[in-house]
Amino acid sequence: MEIISKKHSTNPSIKYVGKGVEFAIIYFKNIILTILTLGLYYPWAKVEILKYHYQSTALDNSRFSFNATGREVFRGFIKVYVILILLYGFLFYSLQTQNEVLMFSAIGIFYLFLLLVIPFAIHGAVRYRSSRSSWRGIHFKYLGDRAEFFWLYIKGILLTLVTLGIYGAWFQVDMRKYIFSHLRFGNLSFDFRGVGGDLFWINLKMILFMYPTLGIYSFWYYKNLWQFYAENTTITQDGQTINFKLKVEAGDVFELLVVNFFLILFTLGIATPWVAVRTLKFFFRFLEIDGEFNADTIQQAKYDDYDDAAGDDALDFFDIDLL
Amino acid sequence: MPFEVNYFDGKSSRTHKATLSVNSLAFIVSYTNENNVSVVVSWEVSNIKKSGIYTKDFISFTYGDSFPFQRIESTDKNFIDYINKSDQKNLNNSLDVMLQKSKKRSIVFLLLALITVGISTYFYVIPAVATSFATTLTKKNVIDFGDYVFRVLSTELEINEVATERLQEFADEMTIESTFPLKLYVVQSDDMNAFALSGGKIVVFSSLLEKIETEAQLAALIGHEVSHIENRHVLKNIARNFSGAIFVSVLFGDINGATAVLMDNAHMFTQLSYTRSLEKEADIFGLDIMRESNVDLHGMPQLFEILQKETAIDVPTYLSNHPMLKNRIIYTEKIANDQGEFITNTILQEKWQQIKKSLENNDNNE
Repeated sequence: MEIISKKHSTNPSIKYVGKGVEFAIIYFKNIILTILTLGLYYPWAKVEILKYHYQSTALDNSRFSFNATGREVFRGFIKVYVILILLYGFLFYSLQTQNEVLMFSAIGIFYLFLLLVIPFAIHGAVRYRSSRSSWRGIHFKYLGDRAEFFWLYIKGILLTLVTLGIYGAWFQVDMRKYIFSHLRFGNLSFDFRGVGGDLFWINLKMILFMYPTLGIYSFWYYKNLWQFYAENTTITQDGQTINFKLKVEAGDVFELLVVNFFLILFTLGIATPWVAVRTLKFFFRFLEIDGEFNADTIQQAKYDDYDDAAGDDALDFFDIDLL
Repeated sequence: MPFEVNYFDGKSSRTHKATLSVNSLAFIVSYTNENNVSVVVSWEVSNIKKSGIYTKDFISFTYGDSFPFQRIESTDKNFIDYINKSDQKNLNNSLDVMLQKSKKRSIVFLLLALITVGISTYFYVIPAVATSFATTLTKKNVIDFGDYVFRVLSTELEINEVATERLQEFADEMTIESTFPLKLYVVQSDDMNAFALSGGKIVVFSSLLEKIETEAQLAALIGHEVSHIENRHVLKNIARNFSGAIFVSVLFGDINGATAVLMDNAHMFTQLSYTRSLEKEADIFGLDIMRESNVDLHGMPQLFEILQKETAIDVPTYLSNHPMLKNRIIYTEKIANDQGEFITNTILQEKWQQIKKSLENNDNNE
């Protein structure tokens, strides 16, 4: 069995094959529908756009598949907005009473809620997205524990506050580690092996060099940051570790960001879908799988049919992007 | 004619090169498995799920009520063609296929549609929704809202109690049919200004009151502010401004800073022109109140002349959101010239004198 599977092992390529015009048609269609419905169509639009990017990403010539439905995301969307409206209602009501105790406690509850809901939202979003993502019919799955992640988050936030932000780098790495180490793809498992110190150093260099170089250093910063995230991510298959390489140079980052910026600026945003496709193409062009990977022997694991998209919708509200 | 597909059984990621024959009821997948055994799998068409997204030269389907789901992927042009022409709704995306057929034409069409939908939503739908929201709000809500704003503001306002009482008496003497209880305040300030709050409160700054010369001019000021209140202008203005700003920021906020700033400013300009149209409405409505109260309508253009003289050098706040004063003088004068015979309201004249006196006393006391 070992020998046979070795023979099949290759360095499969991963690439993004989406096309700007094709995506633009889908993108504009969805924006029009969203406006016409005064925003109610948004969940369906979001799902369709993600479906496009998934189905345009090919690993070893098979496409990824996003299996969410607009209806699931809509249910989450309603949940999030009902809670937010109640929260805002309570806030406005108590401000209007002019009762100082009530006012301050309302403001406190409001911000505390927004702060504390984030870890739950991240957990829910990762679990939902994983459950709905597949490749060759094999599903992703997130096994993280909500309470565990919540306390990790609280610890991180508090330490970041106490250290005036310095701990932030370690905090981010801890969260990523937690999420990736609990992420499965069939019988494959993920991990993140970056360390907080490295991320701190990347950020510190940015702060030190950003102004003296009038911002030019930011291209090196993004190169370092993206490499840090990509090259510390690992996948384990039958005890074998697979790594990633992001062979990108600062010049490439410059080309990506500057062209994106001008495309958007001169078209007043019409180029947005083309920019999205360019950006994804860019990442997958430089991303290489490093290590023996057998694309044919991944075994399906138990299914986590998690249909609650509220976390995903809440992250949307906070404008937080996964990955 | 059989099609070429890759079949995945949902148990492992192994790719099975398979052939697919299709009829109106079923997809029949046949392949040879790793043990050289032929396998035939049948999918009922009604239970097949399409991927729900169009990508050129690639098509995929999943099948099964319970996990694990089976899957086929294909790049076979004949199969894609067959599906695109199929009239089975759960298999193809007819709208996408149509749009993707002639890409350039679709992009042009969608952009035009997007611009039309965007513009008409911004200029017609959102204002209509916002205005109807402001109009349907109950009287109590409107008063509560005004009271709340006034409470917040009043901490910074220095109210002249005596002049306030006199001004209230003056307004009570005017013939005003108001759904809201009117409450007027005189506030010590060097700004030449007056404003109305939702639900019936009117604040007049002392320096403006000092510059007013006749009861007709004061009646013009009150008439103007009362019509803001009666027509819920403040609420309409806020509702439109707020909803329009949300629309603009949702549409452009995610794109980039420069575009967002540009669009925000454009929104501010349209909002300013809306505010101007509300001012004109308040002028016309105010003239009606003056006519009912038996005062000389020329008080209105005279009031504007005073403002024009004072604000030309002073703070331009009053000017900025009001139609050009010159314009207002012209159209209100035209209406004033058409005023028929009327018996001068002498009570208002008396009340006006009392206000004057209270202001002078206040000045002397300081």
